[in-house]
Amino acid sequence: MREETLATRAQPEDARGVAIVYAENYLNKLSGERIERECRNGLEDGCHALVINFKQTTIVNSIGVSILLGVIDAVERRGARLVFANVNHHTIKLFDLLGLSRHVALAENVEAAFAILEDFDAAPTPHGH
Amino acid sequence: MLLSRPWHSTCPTMPIRTTNKNDQPRRVLARVAPEDFVGRADALQQLSALSTVGANRRGVLLLAAPTVGATELLRQAYDAMFHQRGGASPVYFAFSRSDHTTTGAARRFLHTFLWHVVAHRRADATLIDAPPALHDLLELAAPSDYEWIERLIQSYERARGGSDERGFVRLCLSAPQHAATRGSHTVVMLDDVHLATQLKGEVALGEEVAQAFTDSDEAFVLSGLRRSLLGVLQGASEVSRLNGTRKIHLERLDDAEARTLLERVARNQQVVLTDESRDLLVQQLEGNPFFITTLVQAAQNDGGSLASYLDCQRLYVDELLGGRINRRFKAVLEEIAPAAAARRTLLRLLRESESNPAGKSPAEAWRKRLELDAESLARVMAGLHVHELGTFDTTYVEVGANLVWRDYLHASYRLQVSADPRALVVADTLVEALKRAPQTMERHYRRASALQLRQLLGRFDSQRVPASLLHHDRFARMYKGVGADEVLIGLDTETDLIRLPQIVHAASCAAFHPPMQLICDEERCAVAHGFDAASYSDTSEVVWLAAELESKLEVGRALTEVWCDRLAQLAHSCGFTRTRLLLVSTEGFSAEACELLNEREAFSASHQQLELLTARVSPALSAQRLGAGRDEFEMVIPMGDDTELIAAHTVEQIARRLDFQPEAINQIKTALVEACINAAEHSLSPDRKIYQRFRVESDKLVVTVSSRGVAVSASASQNGEAIPEPGQGSQANGSAKGRRGWGLKLIRTLMDEVEFERVDDGTRLRMTKYLRK
Repeated sequence: MREETLATRAQPEDARGVAIVYAENYLNKLSGERIERECRNGLEDGCHALVINFKQTTIVNSIGVSILLGVIDAVERRGARLVFANVNHHTIKLFDLLGLSRHVALAENVEAAFAILEDFDAAPTPHGH
Repeated sequence: MLLSRPWHSTCPTMPIRTTNKNDQPRRVLARVAPEDFVGRADALQQLSALSTVGANRRGVLLLAAPTVGATELLRQAYDAMFHQRGGASPVYFAFSRSDHTTTGAARRFLHTFLWHVVAHRRADATLIDAPPALHDLLELAAPSDYEWIERLIQSYERARGGSDERGFVRLCLSAPQHAATRGSHTVVMLDDVHLATQLKGEVALGEEVAQAFTDSDEAFVLSGLRRSLLGVLQGASEVSRLNGTRKIHLERLDDAEARTLLERVARNQQVVLTDESRDLLVQQLEGNPFFITTLVQAAQNDGGSLASYLDCQRLYVDELLGGRINRRFKAVLEEIAPAAAARRTLLRLLRESESNPAGKSPAEAWRKRLELDAESLARVMAGLHVHELGTFDTTYVEVGANLVWRDYLHASYRLQVSADPRALVVADTLVEALKRAPQTMERHYRRASALQLRQLLGRFDSQRVPASLLHHDRFARMYKGVGADEVLIGLDTETDLIRLPQIVHAASCAAFHPPMQLICDEERCAVAHGFDAASYSDTSEVVWLAAELESKLEVGRALTEVWCDRLAQLAHSCGFTRTRLLLVSTEGFSAEACELLNEREAFSASHQQLELLTARVSPALSAQRLGAGRDEFEMVIPMGDDTELIAAHTVEQIARRLDFQPEAINQIKTALVEACINAAEHSLSPDRKIYQRFRVESDKLVVTVSSRGVAVSASASQNGEAIPEPGQGSQANGSAKGRRGWGLKLIRTLMDEVEFERVDDGTRLRMTKYLRK
């Protein structure tokens, strides 16, 4: 479960400055904290956008979701962008239920996530951001 | 002292103190806390409802087996009524031999009546702890009660010195009517009414009680031993005054209730109890609450362990030979046969009857051996009968079947009649009890697994069923290897039907022919009398003889023949003229055996056939038989290391069996994961385990998650807490902690029903998901 889903980071010199973080099969406290750490590292390395790929994630608990909320906070404070990709149907419903979907863009897959990020970059930055 | 708290010093409409410091209703008469009072919920509810003024407040007769807890039931009902403000005042009075005379009992009744009414009207439970003198009660009475109480006391004072015993008794027993005419309604509960006959006096007190209460419009409960209560109340009267009264029968606790009682008492007494010991004691003590509580108390006094069969039997033998159980039987025997010599002879006769192969002995032999006249013998017999130590008719005496009583009888006989050394009796009784324990449990397991033939036959009720259900060869030909749903469809389309008889009486074979109990378990052989046509006539009278044969494989011709002959012999010895045989075995019968069965015109069925038959003739019985445990799964997981995933995978498999949609399965899994996390995070569980039960029902899946330790209540802060927006958590708390605690809200959203069940230790959460196809 965990071994195949270790998070990977893109380097800041990456043309797009986007890090992709891979979530594990079970999003719980431990795997949530791993995502949190990888996201923090990505931001510290200069990434301006993060994609969390939930392709492997089949089950989620509320502690894991609460940690994702913290990640959303951290990304917003840095003025960076965040997209969740490959979130399965059930998990989307759970995110809806817990109010997560209102604060993060969801993409069908990683390519779609990049497309969303490009749209973000193209759009004028609203006041206050 | 009591005069220092007259009525006017308190608020007449507000309770003074009916709760304790924790705002739990204060126990008034009850000896155990309401939550530790096990079973009897229906009876308690019926009794408690009597205090509702204006409702259908009839009289109740509580017919109780010996030592099954009738007194505590009445005390619990008293407390429930006491705390139910605005209802009738409960009054509890128990007849006692220490009253000696009928007038003594009547006098004490009047005093108790006024005392309990005043305490209830003042809402002062503390008054029950110390009974005030009769005249002090007047001072404590409510102003609206003052006049009738004063008049009643004056009438009592005038009558008590007189010679009119009947008039005096009637005056005292009429107190509820006096109160009612002034608007003070009561529920009088008279306990141990059977003792009324043992009081000296010219008045038949039982009949006076029946008359006084049935003539009144007030609710009442008359409680006593079931074999004597009606006789005591009706006396020689042919016309019963009690026809309109409701009867509540109080029997032993059922196995589940007895298990709960044992667990609760053991926990309260800090006695170690294992599941194995608990189940043994339930069977050995036959669900008797007195024996159960006595044994656990003995364990507590002895060091606190019922962890093994040896612990149980050591204490049991101590109790039989010198503890409370011993004293209880000894007191009853002393009451039945006061003279020591007669008592020894009685013990001898009882023991001889019990060891007689027929289980009984001639009554005439008893009369001669006891050297009693007919009247005295009748008194002894009545005593044995009332206390259920034996039964007798004019010809035979039979010793009661209660296991504890029989053990007491054996041991007492050896000590008092044979004069065996005490150490030898103790050792032998202990050894025998230990050897018997596995057999007791085996009998229980076999009984529990039996097919309940008697109950099934009793529900035939002239119904028509597919013929294949009663012919194994036909069933095998048509349905072997066919799926369950297709079998049901096939049965529905069958046109060859058998009309079952209307069964009017069903009992075990052993009840008709005792030697049968040596051949098979009582539950596995039944005789059912009935009629197979619409009229009750000689020609339609039929007796079904049914037996369940033990075999893992199809039963062969030889064994089938043995059983056919055996049942035919039973029919012959009982004089049954028209019979039908039904043989049942797990896997049915071989082709050769079926040939024989057809020759004998006997019915045959496998367990599968019988289950299908049961489902057709009695869905309730079928559900009862199939329901217990068949669709229930249990799992215990350690806390931590993501073990909730194991639970989630398990519930997924179970939910799939029930054809839940994938989305619903995900919801159930997530809810279960959340419940496990809650248990692990909040319980401070001492064993660090999560206990789960998955119960599959036709339209739903019920998941129960429990853990020991600190209780997590539904009203805990985590329940329904608003989910914070991103930013709130970190700003408010500087960590993710502020965003935590959504588990229960999530569970409530994902599942259809969520409920915290009451448990003594820790938390038990029940979650239900309905099937929507």
